[in-house]
Amino acid sequence: MTSYYAQLLVNGIIAGSIYAMFAVGLAMVYGVFKFINFSHGELITWGAYLTWMFSSSPFSLPVYISVVPALLITVGIGLAQDRFVYRPLRQSNPIAILIASIGLSYMLRNGIRLCWGSDLQTVDLPLSTGILLSGIYITKIQILMVLSALLFFSILYFLLTCTLLGKSLRAVSDNIELSAIMGINMTKVTWTIWVLASVFAGTGGILLALDTSLDPMMGMNSLIKAFAAVLLGGAGNVWGALIGGLFIGIAENISVAFISPDYKDFISYGLIFLLLLFKPRGFFGIAGGVR
Amino acid sequence: MDYFYHILIICLIYSIFAQSLNLELGFTGLYNFGHIAFFGIGAYTSALLSLNGVPIPLAVVGAITLAGIAGALLAIPTLRLSGDYFGIATLVFAEMIHLIFLNERDITRGPMGLPNIPRPDWIGSGISSLPLFLAVTFFAATITFILLRRITNSPYGRSLKVIREDEFVAQALGKNTSLIKTKAIVVGSVLAGLAGVIWAHYITYISPADFTLQETILVLLCVVLGGKGTHPGPVVGAFVIIFFAEFIRFIPIPSEYVRFVAPLQGMVYGFILVIMMLKRPQGLISESRKFATTNA
Repeated sequence: MTSYYAQLLVNGIIAGSIYAMFAVGLAMVYGVFKFINFSHGELITWGAYLTWMFSSSPFSLPVYISVVPALLITVGIGLAQDRFVYRPLRQSNPIAILIASIGLSYMLRNGIRLCWGSDLQTVDLPLSTGILLSGIYITKIQILMVLSALLFFSILYFLLTCTLLGKSLRAVSDNIELSAIMGINMTKVTWTIWVLASVFAGTGGILLALDTSLDPMMGMNSLIKAFAAVLLGGAGNVWGALIGGLFIGIAENISVAFISPDYKDFISYGLIFLLLLFKPRGFFGIAGGVR
Repeated sequence: MDYFYHILIICLIYSIFAQSLNLELGFTGLYNFGHIAFFGIGAYTSALLSLNGVPIPLAVVGAITLAGIAGALLAIPTLRLSGDYFGIATLVFAEMIHLIFLNERDITRGPMGLPNIPRPDWIGSGISSLPLFLAVTFFAATITFILLRRITNSPYGRSLKVIREDEFVAQALGKNTSLIKTKAIVVGSVLAGLAGVIWAHYITYISPADFTLQETILVLLCVVLGGKGTHPGPVVGAFVIIFFAEFIRFIPIPSEYVRFVAPLQGMVYGFILVIMMLKRPQGLISESRKFATTNA
């Protein structure tokens, strides 16, 4: 029985590390530009589908190589979103940006359906064989997922705390006008944010696709989990997003022991409601420190 | 001709739905991204009640009442949230309702949906009933139009607009803003429920797949394209969008390309939303600001 719960906990940590990678980009974009990017989920889907495309015929690249062009294109999509939609709208009212991001998300999602159809797809990989570790079943992909999340968050931590660019990122998310006045290069900061958001989302999407399967709705479904994680951590807070993502993942998987798996998604939905009602600034939102 | 009647009925149902969203999004500035939930609640309640032998008029009243109650229940907790958080909460609410439709198989039959939803005897079924159903739908759409016109032109309607422009000003002027917004959501939900009811009894088959984010985007597009915050805007938007969707069916497309049509259509819808926001955020019909400027 203990191993059953341990298994659920491990599953939760695996799912949570991916949610955290989705949530980071959302939190960073919210932190600086103060809008919720509904099309963030589509970066997840595009990253996954592009990897799948490059690793199957006619390209037939090994998966670890096909990740590179896939991520480059995902970053391109992320930057294009900002250049052609969000930057022109930056001075307009918030509802315009929100509606535009919903429209953009719908457009990109249907782009996926246009190129690759609506059916489920899977990536064949020898890594998906499972191993048993003291009663807990885990696949190599899942170990890779947790390790990648650790690596990415370590790099992000280094970037934010030890580099000048990271310092300007933090300054901008604290006060965008003041940072611009102080001569921080806004173009560079904007680019960095979108590149980071796209890379985190794309990589997370690829890992998720390797672990489960690909379908055009995967981004939208993950996006709601990422919302929950961001809200839990406090909007605009990168570390909150990490902890929030892990919490959602664990809570969801543990819940399987108590409620019907059909309602697994209710955990994050319900949590979003409760948080919005009682703690709309999240648990780490006002804590300051590294943002 | 029968096909034309059918398109008109769908247009009118969507115009009711779009007008109800317009009251919240256009007039009050509430970004409701889960409006399909109330459409779904209306459709499912009326269908389930009438399938279980409740007389249809009673089922209809029950359905729109439940939609209104659901609106109030959503409004009371979420209205304290500002702009985009309210958007998330409503989006999530719609997903929850969708999950309930999908998973409460004992009641809703899950993904199989509810077939053979009855219609009132005096309307009947089949092609011969189309003109009469059109008349009923037209009547409902007209009532909705007049009702919303009266609401938004009243002092209450002006306070909705003040809330949209600046909620703090409305509070400073002594308005109970959360009560005013709750009322707007309840009216919006009742009318969305009404649209759902008509739809369920018209199509006579509903399933959870009819009440997804996709439909929310479609109705959002109707409102935004037509012109939010205007009376004819959502109606025009609904007619343009539905006629566009039906028009596509008549383009001769080789059968091997048919599977590309729906995604392309979706891409066009998304693209229109983005372009509207960039180039013409006020929509085809822009809201008159005469009143505001002359008194400023």
